[in-house]
Amino acid sequence: MTGLIREIRFLSSDRAALLWLGIAVLVAALSVVMGLRETASQRAVLSELIEFDRAERAVVGELYRDWGDAAYYTFHLTYDSPSDFAFAALGQRDTSPWKHSIRALALEGQIYETDAENPVLALTGRFDFAFAANLLAPLLLILLLHDLRSRERTAGRFELLSATAAVRGSPWFARAVLRVGALTLCLIAPLWVGGLLAGTGASDLALASLIVALHLGFWWGVCAIADRFGWSSPVNLTVLIGAWLALAVIVPAAIKLSVEAAVPLPDGGDILLTQREAVNDAWDLPKSETMEPFIERHPEWADYTEVSQPFEWKWYYAFQQVGDQTVEPLSDAYREGRIERDRLAGTLAWLSPPALAERALQAIAGTGMAASLAYEQRVRDFHAELRAYYYPRLFRDETVSDASLAQRPEFGVDGALPPHPHR
Amino acid sequence: MPVLSAQALSVVRSRQQVLKDVSFSIPQGEVHALLGGNGAGKSTTLLTFLGFLAPASGSVHVQGRDVHENLAAARRAIAYLPESATLYGHLSAYENLRYFLSLAGTDTDRDELDAALDRVALQPEARGMRMQTYSKGMRQKVAIALAILRDTPILLLDEPTSGLDPVAIDEFNRLARDLAEAGRTILLVTHDVYGACHVADRIDLLQSGVLVGAFDRPPGMDRIDTEAVHAAFAKHAAA
Amino acid sequence: MTMNRILAIAREEIRLRLRSRLALYTLLIFAVLLTATSIATALRMSEEHRERSEQQALAEETFLSQPDRHPHRMVHYGHYVFRASPPLAMIDPCVDAVTGQSMFLEGHRQNTAMFADARASADLGGFEGLTAALVYQLFVPLLLIALGHGLIIREREENTLAPLLAQGVTGIELYAGKWIALAGVALVLLLPLALVSAAAVAAGGSMPASAGIIGLYALYLLVWCGLILLVSALVRLRAPSLGVLVLLWLGTALIVPRMAVESASAVLPIPGKLTTDLRMQEELREVGDGHNAAAPQYRQLRANLLAQYEVERVEDLPVNFRGVVAESAEADLTEVMNKHAEERMALEARQARFAETFGWLSPVVAVAAGSRALSGTDLATHHRFLREAEEVRFDFVQGLNRVHVEQLAYSVDMNRSIDAESERRTRMSAENWNVLDEFSFRPAAAGERLARAGAPLAMLFAWFGLLTAGGVHAARKMRP
Repeated sequence: MTGLIREIRFLSSDRAALLWLGIAVLVAALSVVMGLRETASQRAVLSELIEFDRAERAVVGELYRDWGDAAYYTFHLTYDSPSDFAFAALGQRDTSPWKHSIRALALEGQIYETDAENPVLALTGRFDFAFAANLLAPLLLILLLHDLRSRERTAGRFELLSATAAVRGSPWFARAVLRVGALTLCLIAPLWVGGLLAGTGASDLALASLIVALHLGFWWGVCAIADRFGWSSPVNLTVLIGAWLALAVIVPAAIKLSVEAAVPLPDGGDILLTQREAVNDAWDLPKSETMEPFIERHPEWADYTEVSQPFEWKWYYAFQQVGDQTVEPLSDAYREGRIERDRLAGTLAWLSPPALAERALQAIAGTGMAASLAYEQRVRDFHAELRAYYYPRLFRDETVSDASLAQRPEFGVDGALPPHPHR
Repeated sequence: MPVLSAQALSVVRSRQQVLKDVSFSIPQGEVHALLGGNGAGKSTTLLTFLGFLAPASGSVHVQGRDVHENLAAARRAIAYLPESATLYGHLSAYENLRYFLSLAGTDTDRDELDAALDRVALQPEARGMRMQTYSKGMRQKVAIALAILRDTPILLLDEPTSGLDPVAIDEFNRLARDLAEAGRTILLVTHDVYGACHVADRIDLLQSGVLVGAFDRPPGMDRIDTEAVHAAFAKHAAA
Repeated sequence: MTMNRILAIAREEIRLRLRSRLALYTLLIFAVLLTATSIATALRMSEEHRERSEQQALAEETFLSQPDRHPHRMVHYGHYVFRASPPLAMIDPCVDAVTGQSMFLEGHRQNTAMFADARASADLGGFEGLTAALVYQLFVPLLLIALGHGLIIREREENTLAPLLAQGVTGIELYAGKWIALAGVALVLLLPLALVSAAAVAAGGSMPASAGIIGLYALYLLVWCGLILLVSALVRLRAPSLGVLVLLWLGTALIVPRMAVESASAVLPIPGKLTTDLRMQEELREVGDGHNAAAPQYRQLRANLLAQYEVERVEDLPVNFRGVVAESAEADLTEVMNKHAEERMALEARQARFAETFGWLSPVVAVAAGSRALSGTDLATHHRFLREAEEVRFDFVQGLNRVHVEQLAYSVDMNRSIDAESERRTRMSAENWNVLDEFSFRPAAAGERLARAGAPLAMLFAWFGLLTAGGVHAARKMRP
């Protein structure tokens, strides 16, 4: 304990170390502020959109008094609100959609649309806490630890310090612990402040802090191994930064390439073309060719498949559904491929602690690929609900009534699809 | 029982044999000087006593125990003054002493620090200043003060008088003798023949890793005969 | 004499570097990394180029081979355009990964691009999308730092600076010699880039733009050489010099670019496309639904037409009134959509420009902006794709509407839903489908791209000038 106090006093007079720690606090605080700003703006966008969407649906509901038209013209907003920890790891939210407007037409033609932000900005990536903690902090730790011993060696103090220490290895261990601990604190303190502001649960914050600490612990280990070789400070630093480059950049890039080679995805273009052909060919086919595969999926409407007119809404929506059914194998393969890629990436991420830590923080925040896929699934489920709502009305040729419209499913309402699905 | 002893000590550093079959022993309360030129193996001997280097053959003992089997005990018994000791430039003399003493597990108050700094004659007005402003001699004085303050039975001193002016060297010699008389055992290494003759009870002459001569202070005399040592030194250096 | 001395210093420095195993290994590893990423990026992009061009051809073929139909059916059948990446995307794919690669064009709607790679790739948080351009922008400077941080400090630490200066070597000569040594290494590292550029030119890329890219990256690496040497001249010890340089790298390569993004989106927020679309709905309703010729919005149109052809009833018009309404509604609604799309693109462009001004703070931001402009993978190119796609959309939709107006009789059209036979009579010949233009996306001409890279180049030149001036100043004042 006295050793720790001694080293705290020592650290507090080491200007270089204080500089690195100061940068850590600054970077972490900035990242938290940026993350909070971004999630606040996403929430604001969503609440505005939800209002707009509701108002718009009310207007459209007045305009069309025919279930076919109503289903055709009414868009339904779906969305994935940021979780209360999303500020710390924005993850996929800048490239993958978190809001989607869909209608009861063929889903495959709609679900891959992206309402993405400015691509130039999305490309660079966000300055969130995960970035600060997983990519910047290891570099700062390296700067803090790389010359722990080598500096003393250069100054000729190494033997004196070791010979003087009452406990073997005493100043080194205490110094390293202190620096790792101080850096961890410098990162975590802003995170906790941000968490309090965002209303994050203490268990999430504690878990995230543990991840940050474990990740830094790993880099401490790397620094300690490099220390064994007794290189000079510059060589030490060069080698350690090389290790960072390898583990934080090259290994993830290699993992990405191998995952993509190992799990090929059907081409997106093929999905779109197949889907469109299936939907449009139906116009020129005998109606029965649409209704038969439809009935296979929905036997409950078998008694209503009689289509006498060249155009009938129920037939129109039936071929929309059949279009989705036709492309299902491709679409399933595409989705399963992405799930498999994500799973494989998760396993291989053990080769790159920064990637692993990033994925772990994204998992807590519900902003990872898995969450994005889960959102897509919720959109699909909601679309299925919409169909389940419209089909009886279309097939039984009911008239539109306000009472009936009031029963129309709304995303995130009626308990079926909670807006916070992550935990 | 000798406090420090080396028995048939051989040390190899980066494939070079630096010490070869060196044996000596130092009883309690004696000042023992290892005298030799550059690269004679003097500092290596000290580092072996501290356990930083392992003997290739032979052994070193501190207070009768093998250093490499009782490393922590050996280091606890020894205060070490490295060659041209650099303490932390961004700390003052007080802060440096406090830091290192706390590292050694001792608590020292300001008066004790001042007493030690008085003994090495460091001017009081400099003691609170950062050591990066110190001259080489002042830094050496603080380092010596640290060795004294450690209050260990054994002192290992590497070139303690380098950088000191003649007056300070005399003061140091007196201090070393006082410490020995108070019961401390001192092993110092130096290439300064004159200084060694004045301070040591015994001088071992080390040349290229081999002991080539030994000189004892004759009873009743206050120093070893400088001329004789100098002649032996010169003869072996030329060989 | 001076030049000889400078070259001698440079030669010595390089010889020393080559003897240091650490430096040699680092250099080798980077050479492998650069070559590997360059080849991987080039292969991927040329494969994608081929694939998308094929898909484009297939989409056109499919459209043209559609059977006889009611023309409005073809409006909804729609068409796909694929953005084939430009040849220079081999070097810098840039926004290509984030924006979708294909887009569905149909009547009455402007869709967004679909299937962005980023959404389907393995997520490993940060730099997994490593491209040759990114290695040059972010990581080659690290190598230069490792090799160059001690260039002048070494002379101090080994106490050779004083003898050198005492011999009459001036500070400037020493500085210039070291600069040449480091710049030489930097230029050698450009070799993989030059090879990929050559391959891109062979694949149809523009020669001036390729040369521009090589020049841009050369200038960028020289900026780093200048910075590294300046720090090496000003800081007296090796360890702090390396620390300072790593800190500068951390700031310019990792922090400032992301700060630029955050500030741009904070200062110039853009409503998402969904928000814009919803806001647009009201305006679109005023235009009217072109499917419903009886809608009140078209009363005036009908009155004008009847007056123009001097007839009493729409049935007597020589043109199909439903087609006229569809055509007019499409034109009006496109105007509204384009207005909003242009507003959005203007905002995005402003955001991008705002982010780009951070190039004055970090050469990394400047080189990235210049690189994507020259490669034809920047935001302006993406917008160009959107505009061209919209043009294709509008043209084929209106072409089909024209067929609707001129070739399909109103009475036949009105009776389309009576029975199968009436429906069959509304089908127009498939020959009409050739209203579709061939779509082949090309980036802007080299001149325009070079012009767009002007601002980033100016920033890099400013950096270069500033650092050179600083270096000359430090070299003049060099003391042992």
